[in-house]
Amino acid sequence: MGCCLKKILLLGAALALCAPAFATTYILTIAGFGGEEDYEKRFVLLANDTDKILRGGGGTDRSIETLKGPEATKAKVTASLAKIASEAKAQDVLILMMIGHGTFDGAEYKFNLPGPDISATELAAALNRIPAARQLVVDMTSASGGATAALKKEGRTVITATKSGSEKNATLFARYWVEALRDPSADTDKNEIVSALEAFHYAQTKTAAFFTEQKRLATEHAQLAAEDQQRAAAFPLVRYGSAAAVVTDPAKQALVAKKEEIENKIDALKYQKDLMAPEDYKRQIAAFLLDLARTQEAIEK
Amino acid sequence: MMCRVARSFGVAALSLCALAQTPPRRAAQPARPPAQNANPGITEATAEALWRAQDYKGAMAAFDALIAAHPENAELRLREGQLFLERYNPDEAKKLYQEAIEIDPKFARAYLALAELLAEDYNSKAAEAADKALELDPKMYQAHELKARMALEDDDYKKAIEEADSALAINPNALQALAVRAAIDLLQDKESAWLTKIDGRARGFETIAHFFVINRRYEDGIIYYRKAIASDPQLWSAHSQMAINLMRLGREDEARKELELAFNNHFTDSQTTNSLRLMDTYGDYKTFVTPTTILKLHKKEAEALHPYFEAEMLRAMAVYEKKYQFKLKTPIQVEVYPNHEDFAVRTMGMPGLGALGVTFNATIAMDSPSGRPPGQFHWASTLWHEMSHVYILTLTNYRVPRWFTEGVAVHEETATTPDWGDRITPDIIVALRDKKLLPVAEIDRGFVHPKFPAQVIVSYFEAGKMCDYIAERWGETKLLDMAHQFAKNRPTVDVIRDELKIEPEAFDKDFLAYLDKQTGFTVKNFETWTKGIGELNKLARNPTAMAALAGHSGAVVPKNGAPIDVPAEGTVPPDDIIAKARALELLYPDYVEAGNPYLIAAKACLAKQDKACALEEYAKYSKQSGRDAEAIKKYSDLLKEAGKQTEAAAALERLNAVNPLDQDLHEKLGALYLATNKAPLAVREYSAVVALKPLDVAGSHYNLAMAYKAQGLEDKAREEALTALEAAPDYRPAQKLLLQLSGEGLKR
Repeated sequence: MGCCLKKILLLGAALALCAPAFATTYILTIAGFGGEEDYEKRFVLLANDTDKILRGGGGTDRSIETLKGPEATKAKVTASLAKIASEAKAQDVLILMMIGHGTFDGAEYKFNLPGPDISATELAAALNRIPAARQLVVDMTSASGGATAALKKEGRTVITATKSGSEKNATLFARYWVEALRDPSADTDKNEIVSALEAFHYAQTKTAAFFTEQKRLATEHAQLAAEDQQRAAAFPLVRYGSAAAVVTDPAKQALVAKKEEIENKIDALKYQKDLMAPEDYKRQIAAFLLDLARTQEAIEK
Repeated sequence: MMCRVARSFGVAALSLCALAQTPPRRAAQPARPPAQNANPGITEATAEALWRAQDYKGAMAAFDALIAAHPENAELRLREGQLFLERYNPDEAKKLYQEAIEIDPKFARAYLALAELLAEDYNSKAAEAADKALELDPKMYQAHELKARMALEDDDYKKAIEEADSALAINPNALQALAVRAAIDLLQDKESAWLTKIDGRARGFETIAHFFVINRRYEDGIIYYRKAIASDPQLWSAHSQMAINLMRLGREDEARKELELAFNNHFTDSQTTNSLRLMDTYGDYKTFVTPTTILKLHKKEAEALHPYFEAEMLRAMAVYEKKYQFKLKTPIQVEVYPNHEDFAVRTMGMPGLGALGVTFNATIAMDSPSGRPPGQFHWASTLWHEMSHVYILTLTNYRVPRWFTEGVAVHEETATTPDWGDRITPDIIVALRDKKLLPVAEIDRGFVHPKFPAQVIVSYFEAGKMCDYIAERWGETKLLDMAHQFAKNRPTVDVIRDELKIEPEAFDKDFLAYLDKQTGFTVKNFETWTKGIGELNKLARNPTAMAALAGHSGAVVPKNGAPIDVPAEGTVPPDDIIAKARALELLYPDYVEAGNPYLIAAKACLAKQDKACALEEYAKYSKQSGRDAEAIKKYSDLLKEAGKQTEAAAALERLNAVNPLDQDLHEKLGALYLATNKAPLAVREYSAVVALKPLDVAGSHYNLAMAYKAQGLEDKAREEALTALEAAPDYRPAQKLLLQLSGEGLKR
């Protein structure tokens, strides 16, 4: 899900969530301390994949940094966040992704890094100094649910791999999160943009399916607060195909506006679906969808 | 019941699988001396009175107090043990019996009680305990009765008669002995004078019913449960067992009524309670009916499984009708349980069953592919196994020895589709090495009272191989001829002599020679293989060698359930691994389980970029019934890359018989069928994806639309395209397809 204009009818305040034109998205990915060689390699691999995918499919309005292996120290992490704080403006967007192990002692969550760990409180303090009004934190570590309370803030969406600090096993969520960034089927609304919400649903579903299929007790339950879901939908992570082009092509704006108008009508109709006779709904939605297809065809001409 | 078992689980479950669970076989209790008064407040009479008044907690508390006051009184422990057993706690009962024996090693009645308890689980140690009881008290006719029952469970009529007669010599009115004698006649379709001697005693009829049930003659069993109930309407165990057998035959209304009656009269054993609970979930199942089949699937997976299960049922029926030369008069009913424990309760009334599927007359209950971890369960093979039972049981009018119907069923697993079925397991190789196979005249014992942990599995294997051998040496039709002989209630040895024109001993000798030709090399080299496979896997787990096997996931041991991908950066050449693996493949070609050499070799081939080598390994693995989904998908991908799309589809199609709930499988297979102009199959595959309710709703409906379009069903294609667009209005490929189907876009 990309820009949220089409949701206006249903979500009055949603427009405010869209990134204004020329805003910059700052993305910091951190692969934490693995402890064992296998984990070390795995975390670095996931961070590298993330970096590569983001650089390949996001347009030019992004500043991407990835910290991994020995360089992912607390000092480097805080320095990177401080740098973003010095550059970012209120209209900008921040996305922080954390891969690795985490711990929770009942009071404080810590993200495991080479050398001293960084606590959720320390991370929150660093993030609070960043002026970007829209922030997304994706904490994919074990025990990450223990970080939610400290990280939560107005304007900041928090996704965690576990529901609490007591889910301490190494997580699968990061693997599927990264898979979502490269799997077109994660783009469920087929607008050629994988949003944070779509990636979350993808990773959450795949993780749950893994445990179900293997007949194992699930040791992680990814969390995204219900009230943050629409906000998460407005964080585009990966753009590909014509979607990336449209974003930067002013010549298409009139047709895009018409398209969005039809999309809004479709959304409104769907909202009324349960109140309508099935045949009536089917006829109307078919007409709108055909009209939308024609409009898109015109855009591409 | 007849059943198909999984390849590895405990003896207890298997024994339960081999025999339907039936009521407790407690005989009349031997007379015992009165126990000493415990204390003025609580006496043994108090405890017994509370027991009789159904105040079980009170009775237990009284016995506990008495035992605390008289710790050396073995009698009290025996009685409390018997109380625990009556209240469905055999573990506690066993403990108390053992304590009683420890206190008084000459306590014959405690040995008898222990024997009866062990016999309820078909534990072969029961005979030892019964013998000990007789040694201590030769007049204890109940121990002879128990041994008679156990012998009859093994179909050993001679021994059963001897033991029953020994009991009757001591007590001419011994009810269980009379029931065993009557059952022996009735099982042979003879009139029985022993029935008169039972003299209307309900427990005697209940025992006869038990023997009908364990011989798969459920209708006859129900008749005798009815007789038992008519004699004693308060015999709640008979109500419950009759209900469970009615349930097995699909007569759910009466079954529920009887179960509730038993339950409401305090007969709350696990079988009764579990069966009632299961019946409460029947509303969650969806039924699909054809003129010859009834298929019950859980709602959550019904649409996805229906096409595959129904097609396989119809295919199996077509094959069996031709092979066994008759048509069933009633439809076959197949019930598929996603929760294995529901299946177990459906089958036994108890959780913990190790079986994969069971057959009661024309009703089959089985695990769903979702009931076990992917790759562990070949549902189609199980279905064919169980459906074979329906034909053999019907053909023989339920008068067939266990070894034959199980043997034919195992034979059928691979007769039509050779790359199905289970392969020879290490347990079986060890049994072959240790010469633990049973002669054909005694093989039934291996199913019922196993004497070593893997004996049930080994017996399945042996019976299957015997049927393979008969089919190869005398022709497939000889199995049919034998079935007709068994229908006349003839014993195995007579059928072997008359149909195969060979003495059973000579059959055994020839069979073992046949088996040795197939397995001798593997058995002989098993130790070498065991050592080698360990070394190979160790090498594959070695970090340096691991790097040589980059790009695979199979040999990496997950930590905390998290699969680990390891990047390629090693330098060890994989040729050594391939050579070692191939040598091991030759020693034990059937081994396709975890750590098998085929997949290790295949991955090593890929590490050196030799796709032809990998294809060869995957092909061998697939032919040997290898079922690892990721490996087969890789095989299919390689075939596709090599331009062999039809073969790629065939490789994947095998997985539908293992896990038709794999969305990725259907997507890949759908694409291959679409690319090879097999639109109806592409429709089937993409319909399965839609039925699995994928995250990518739009993509799944779009693919289905494309398949319908390829099939020329444009209206359906348009419906699907619109459904895709309803989920994702901006989905360009679906928009283009809609425009095409609406006559506006480019026709392709």
